[in-house]
Amino acid sequence: MSPLEEQLTRSRRDFLATSACGLGTLALASLLKQDGLLASEADLNAHPLSQRLAHFAPRAQRCIFIFLEGGPSQMDLFDPKPMLNRYEGKPLPDSIVGNAKFAFLQKDSATVLGTKRVFQPHGQCGMEISDLLPHLATCVDDIALVRSMHTDQFNHLPGQLMLNCGSALLGRPSLGSWVSYGLGNASQELPAYMVMVSKGRGLPGGSSTWSSGYLPSPHGGVLLRNGSAPVLNLDNPPGISNAQQRASLRALGDLNRLAHAHIGDPEIAARISNYELAFRMQSAAPALVDLSGESPSTLKAYGLDRLEPPISSNLGGIGNFPVFARHCLQARRMVERGVRFVNIIHASWDHHSSLDPQLAHNCQMVDQPIAALLKDLKQRGLLDSTLVVWGSEFGRTALGENRKGFKKITGRDHHPYAFSLWMAGGGIKGGQVYGASDDFAWHATHNPVSMHDFHATILHLFGLDHQRLSYRFQGLEQRLTGVQPARVVHPLLA
Amino acid sequence: MRDLDLTPPSTASTARAVLAAVLLPGLLAPAMAAPDFSREIRPILAARCYACHGPDEEAREGNLRLDLPGARLDVGELQRRIDSSDPDEVMPPPQSPHPLQPHQRLLLHQWLAAGAKAEAHWAFEPMRREAAPQTALGASSAHPIDAFIEQRLQQEGLKLSPPAPAAQLRRRLHLDLLGMEPELSAQEMDQPLDDAGYLTLVQRLLQSPQFGERWGRHWLDAARYADSNGFLGDGLRPKAHRYRDWVIEAFNRDLPYDEFTRQQIAGDLIGQPEGTGFHRNAALNTEAGADPIEARHNNRVDRVNSVARVWMGLTLGCAQCHTHKYDPITLREYYRFYAYFDRTQDSDHPKNGAPLMLINAKDSTPTRLLERGDLTRPGDAVEPGTPAAFGPPAGPSRLDLAQWMLSPQHPLTARVAVNHLWSKLFGHGLVRTPEDFGTSGEAPTHPRLLDWLAQEFIRRGWSRKQLITLMVTSKTYRQDSRINSAQAAQRDPLNLLLWRQHRLRLEGEIIRDSALQLSGLLNTRIGGPSIRPPLPKDVFEVGRASNWQASPGDEVWRRSLYIITLRSVLYPLITTFDGPDAAEACVRRERNNTPLQALSLLNEEVFVQCAQELGRRFLRQASQGAEPTLRAMFLHVLKRQPRPTELQRLIDFARESQGTSADQPPLLLSEHSLMLCARLLLNLDERITRP
Repeated sequence: MSPLEEQLTRSRRDFLATSACGLGTLALASLLKQDGLLASEADLNAHPLSQRLAHFAPRAQRCIFIFLEGGPSQMDLFDPKPMLNRYEGKPLPDSIVGNAKFAFLQKDSATVLGTKRVFQPHGQCGMEISDLLPHLATCVDDIALVRSMHTDQFNHLPGQLMLNCGSALLGRPSLGSWVSYGLGNASQELPAYMVMVSKGRGLPGGSSTWSSGYLPSPHGGVLLRNGSAPVLNLDNPPGISNAQQRASLRALGDLNRLAHAHIGDPEIAARISNYELAFRMQSAAPALVDLSGESPSTLKAYGLDRLEPPISSNLGGIGNFPVFARHCLQARRMVERGVRFVNIIHASWDHHSSLDPQLAHNCQMVDQPIAALLKDLKQRGLLDSTLVVWGSEFGRTALGENRKGFKKITGRDHHPYAFSLWMAGGGIKGGQVYGASDDFAWHATHNPVSMHDFHATILHLFGLDHQRLSYRFQGLEQRLTGVQPARVVHPLLA
Repeated sequence: MRDLDLTPPSTASTARAVLAAVLLPGLLAPAMAAPDFSREIRPILAARCYACHGPDEEAREGNLRLDLPGARLDVGELQRRIDSSDPDEVMPPPQSPHPLQPHQRLLLHQWLAAGAKAEAHWAFEPMRREAAPQTALGASSAHPIDAFIEQRLQQEGLKLSPPAPAAQLRRRLHLDLLGMEPELSAQEMDQPLDDAGYLTLVQRLLQSPQFGERWGRHWLDAARYADSNGFLGDGLRPKAHRYRDWVIEAFNRDLPYDEFTRQQIAGDLIGQPEGTGFHRNAALNTEAGADPIEARHNNRVDRVNSVARVWMGLTLGCAQCHTHKYDPITLREYYRFYAYFDRTQDSDHPKNGAPLMLINAKDSTPTRLLERGDLTRPGDAVEPGTPAAFGPPAGPSRLDLAQWMLSPQHPLTARVAVNHLWSKLFGHGLVRTPEDFGTSGEAPTHPRLLDWLAQEFIRRGWSRKQLITLMVTSKTYRQDSRINSAQAAQRDPLNLLLWRQHRLRLEGEIIRDSALQLSGLLNTRIGGPSIRPPLPKDVFEVGRASNWQASPGDEVWRRSLYIITLRSVLYPLITTFDGPDAAEACVRRERNNTPLQALSLLNEEVFVQCAQELGRRFLRQASQGAEPTLRAMFLHVLKRQPRPTELQRLIDFARESQGTSADQPPLLLSEHSLMLCARLLLNLDERITRP
């Protein structure tokens, strides 16, 4: 053995010894933390993505959160309101409208806008779903539909931050970041939290939607790109072969290990393992988005082969049919590989005008792939442990939008007081409608569910107590659910 | 207050509790020293009890207050209640999310048994006049900072590490003061540095205009500087950079911190308005349909909370909805502080051409406190005023407020400022929660040193350059950062007592800037409108402010603090390395270590270009053979000679990259191999770490 080889061998051996010791310490730290014996966050921050135990037995191991940005119209999709057509063209009484604030609607002259949608009962449970969602209608027995959601934000970005991050302010961690923080990363080759975005109009908050906020940055979502390099900087630079990349990483590892032997700083050990993880990610991420191994019937089920019907203009964009279908299929492939939290985001559903054609178009785009995802997860035995959520920041008004300058009334304004979302799998009791709104989908009249209730429930499914999952920031133990009371919605649970 | 224990607090408490549990607590308690109130007891009371038994009158239960020093407590009753098995009696009550852990209960028992003595919170007490201690070494010429540090180390049987090698020290100083690598030859790097030579070097670096860029960036974090409004639309603020440039300039001319403060809080009142851009950095919701009153209120709240956090280390925002649960700030006091900023308006077209500043509003309605922080529940009208716990009342103008904060008697301002400076040179503050000097924050590791530095800062006319000089000339700063004492590593694993310098992973900005510098690409032009380096289309198109036209020519090679900060499209390279999101004032950056950082350094376009350029610089030399070429490249990048094993490994890699085996000397390196070697060196942990 040459002196160099000897020294390298020694440094590798020493390195393994110290890292093994490091891991031991880490495991101990996790246990102590669980027992409340170790309050120091420093230890956990040193290894932010190490796996941790939940507070209690989890029902969900992972979550696919489908965020359809802009506020899809609940009374045209999930919450049938026959009164709308009866009152079409008439104003709503003050007793209902009250002091409601609107983004654009002119309250004094606004009148009810009817709906062209037909609702019919589906499945064994008889859940009523709009004719715009025929595929989803075949999954209702797995779905818990909440018709009594409410929020206190009626502008997009504050509302979206509320939905995704539990606060209307910028700089707060997203739900996925909290789950990553609470449970760590189960994957050895992919990030714990991944995000896919398809868009026409653009996402108001951009990356703040999946931000780690004040949590350590490794808990932030990693954007999966739609091009050939699915993660930013994933591809080898032009002109560098895989063999050269491998050789570079070997040499880099050796030189860093030599430095570690000399300097003794455990940060160097962490750096070395992160380069190794990065290298694994370089092959794992392309494999993740390589659909060549999927059967033709799977691709067809998700609708990757669909032709998009013509539409003259669409806030949700044109050309997203194959993209959204692919995202749903990739989401399944992610959770199969241990990714803990997946965001599928599409913008936009903000139908102030042209609601009928554009909502129909968007629904046609998402209905089949989402239903296929639910069925695919179920067939593979993953649905029980995978929570799937459809949600948005608010709903829309029963009143037609009569914004100044609108010649015709063809849409609805933002509406925060009652709207719908649904959950399936991951410990959710399917086949049920929870909560109700009044005849005009204006107020949540029965079993109202706040955004924080919704978040508390999701954390509960992950085995996390929303009151205990906290992080010290600005002198406070900060929580996803804030300081106001929040409750786990137990009737939603299986 | 007693000096801190070295083991992390919770572990110390656990050890104490385990020990106590083995023996009978009742017998043991008198024999053991009473727990330290500030370090061991207050955190328990704050987290478990203050919510109902703290400063907030409205939330107070049973007329019991546990946060006042000198209050007489019914010890027997407290002992009974924390042990009670009756759900109606036990404290904290069963529904509390923060039940007492067994070791915490024991600590409380020990504290109660010892007489339940509470202390005032150190940071709200006046600074103590401190003289530097005489060390055992007895040298009166010893550096005062070292005297404090060494005295504490000696108590633990520890000592400072040996001085860092000269080359390492030069590199450390350049990176800390300029955010740049030294541009010195091998011989110059290794030349011994005596005290006089070192001081000359420090002074030379402090005169470099790049000092203002490096330290200005630290302040811009705190000022949540951005070039856009945030929120939907994320509209551009094309003149925001004027404030950024003002900050750089203020550091470069060593604008005293008191004046620096006055100009930012109330510059419009003293004819120096540009610094008030600090307040204009707050995010603002301009979404069509947004409620303008609410948007303005949120914007003002951010200004108020930022001033409190940045200048005073106060979590004032906690008192926005109710009286602060931990610190002595009432709801009314919050809105009196708010009133200073409520009576302002933004001005974009002042006469002197300074954009984005703040002026007093011409007419304004009185400020009202908001019950529960709720805009729909305005309460009494309030006049501008300062919280009573931090000094005598201030007058009604923002200038009065600035003067109040800058009073030498103010317990927080100077301490917070020197802690901020210290944290940039030693990796952590003496108070490790620079954002929170309140009762929930961490206690200082060296309270006397902190007070001495704060007073020294005032005495030296609030000069930051002088204070930085003072800090970097200490042995404490100049010592080695390697872990070369197993005993010390075991005794003080977090290096709280500074038995070595900290090794610090560089910020993303500095990693990029120094890579550009090493490769010869860096454009050092200072100031002006922000730039846009290339960014893949799909990254910026996620948001709605989706126009990203890369800047022309060598503008893209400028320092990273000039990269435009769009709140909805943060530049990935910066955020990957823990850059702030400009949502709120950031006085402490994380230093995470992630695989995405590895991918960025390996594959990101700018770093690959740097590797190419760096490789090319050694192309002419390559004819001399692999060894001298790679030795020179190593020296150029890491500012030290490679050890033989390192050089050999690098040569082996170069050989492998060219497909030549070891028995084919001499190796002539191709441009491609040189690029690969350069890329390797630029990725080394040591390269991206301040030594």
